[in-house]
Amino acid sequence: MDILIEILIYGSIRSITLALMALGFALVYGTSRVPNFAHGALYIINGFIVWSFLRLLGLNYFFSILLAIIVIGVIGALIYQIILIRVRGIAISEIIASYAIGLAILEGLRWGGFKGMTYTLPTFIQGSIFIVGVPVDLHRIVVLICGAALIGFLWLFTHYTRIGLALRGMAQDERAALMLGIDSDRMAVVAMVFGSMLAGLAAVLLLPLGNIVVESGYNVLILAIAVCIVGGLGSWMGAVLAAFLIGFAQILTEVYLGTHFKTVVALLAIIITLILRPSGLFGRQKELEERV
Amino acid sequence: MLEASGLMVFYENMLALNNVNIYCGENQIVGVFGANSAGKSTLMYTLSGIIEDIRKKEEMAGGERVNILGEIQYLGQDITGLKPSQRAKKGIVLCPERRRIFKECNVMENLRIGGYLASSSQAKNTMDYIFKTFPALEKLKKRVGGFLSGGEQQMLAIGRALMAQPKLLLLDEPLLGLSPLVQAVLVRATKEIREEKGLSIIITEQYARPVLPIVDYAFVLENGAAVMEGDREELMNNPDVRSAYFGV
Repeated sequence: MDILIEILIYGSIRSITLALMALGFALVYGTSRVPNFAHGALYIINGFIVWSFLRLLGLNYFFSILLAIIVIGVIGALIYQIILIRVRGIAISEIIASYAIGLAILEGLRWGGFKGMTYTLPTFIQGSIFIVGVPVDLHRIVVLICGAALIGFLWLFTHYTRIGLALRGMAQDERAALMLGIDSDRMAVVAMVFGSMLAGLAAVLLLPLGNIVVESGYNVLILAIAVCIVGGLGSWMGAVLAAFLIGFAQILTEVYLGTHFKTVVALLAIIITLILRPSGLFGRQKELEERV
Repeated sequence: MLEASGLMVFYENMLALNNVNIYCGENQIVGVFGANSAGKSTLMYTLSGIIEDIRKKEEMAGGERVNILGEIQYLGQDITGLKPSQRAKKGIVLCPERRRIFKECNVMENLRIGGYLASSSQAKNTMDYIFKTFPALEKLKKRVGGFLSGGEQQMLAIGRALMAQPKLLLLDEPLLGLSPLVQAVLVRATKEIREEKGLSIIITEQYARPVLPIVDYAFVLENGAAVMEGDREELMNNPDVRSAYFGV
């Protein structure tokens, strides 16, 4: 009984964590069809930005986070405007360019001395509580609540606001959106800004649980891609569902097979999806269109 | 209202539009008739500016070279080379061939996306107007676009275009693949929209007969060139045109 509750609680936390990592990637890919391989790098660099504001400039924690989210949005916009806009529409160049940006950022950070175990962010709330006999850090509860709220907020944003609806329209048929006066170039920048901010938010929520290390930038990218492929590239709600699928699968393997199998799960999920259902759980319509 | 002169569009070396002159007066319905590959859609893309987007994308991807020549005057302004979103802002809205509605969004969301350029009061008024003109859509508000029938999708596409507050509405083959019954509804609605909203409409069709009664003036395209133009009677009295496009 205890183990079931533990699986349920930690499975949910893991799933929300994965969803947080993947949503930014899904948003950018869904609207502008740019696979942003710099996603993991944006995640990590935001951790360091918050750390710098907090430790070097001595700002208030909440204020540093707010400022860092704005900075990361600007960085995202710059990456798009300066580099990605030039290769838009050429799939392989988009991947190479964005991955190169990611590499440059991550290895640049490593070269700049941001490595080792010294960089940490404080948790929002210290301590832990027992939920039906299972100990849970309060910060993990914060992640769970904030993550769920963010998913809800994104849903509302894409269903009820003018910009959100325009982004959805563009995701489905860019040219039809153009005919209605939606400027796709500007919307792509908007998507990139939101995507970067989501990566930044994920970093702010998740990094206090461990150290800020450059390597986790690559892990975040791989997990985000795994979630998006399983959910169907470009489908946001598919990504959320896939996050739960992979999240619980990871926790189950951790409990019954051992911790070291955890990373295999995400990669295995990519392979299985690509063999059985190449367009992902929610990519049915796109699959049909490709055949026509 | 709109006057395009000397329009030439090349896809690589293929000539899609050959020196086409087309014009549309205030509050007029202008028909453009022609067979498959006569250049109707290319003409619509050229007027709405989508061709600029196609050219840009092809150029970036290293695909076909698209060349666009000619001049488009709209409300006394030269709009040649403007981006499609800018033209939509000026009031030229294209309702594309095969409808291209947003299949994963429901009817209301499709309309609201269409209302991107509209103020909230404009959007609300236009929505009421659309449901009045197409009562069939009223019951389907929550249905996802992909699950609508062809006729309903076309109504939605026209409604969505109206949401963008057009002054010049471009309808590209709105009757394609629809039953005569639905065709009649759409033709009547088109006429009503022209009268009630006071806009100008350019409508293309392969088969001219169903829309002929409502057009003020018409052009016939053949192999990318405008081979004939005239008002309704002039076209009807031309024996070649009659047999080729009206099936009389």
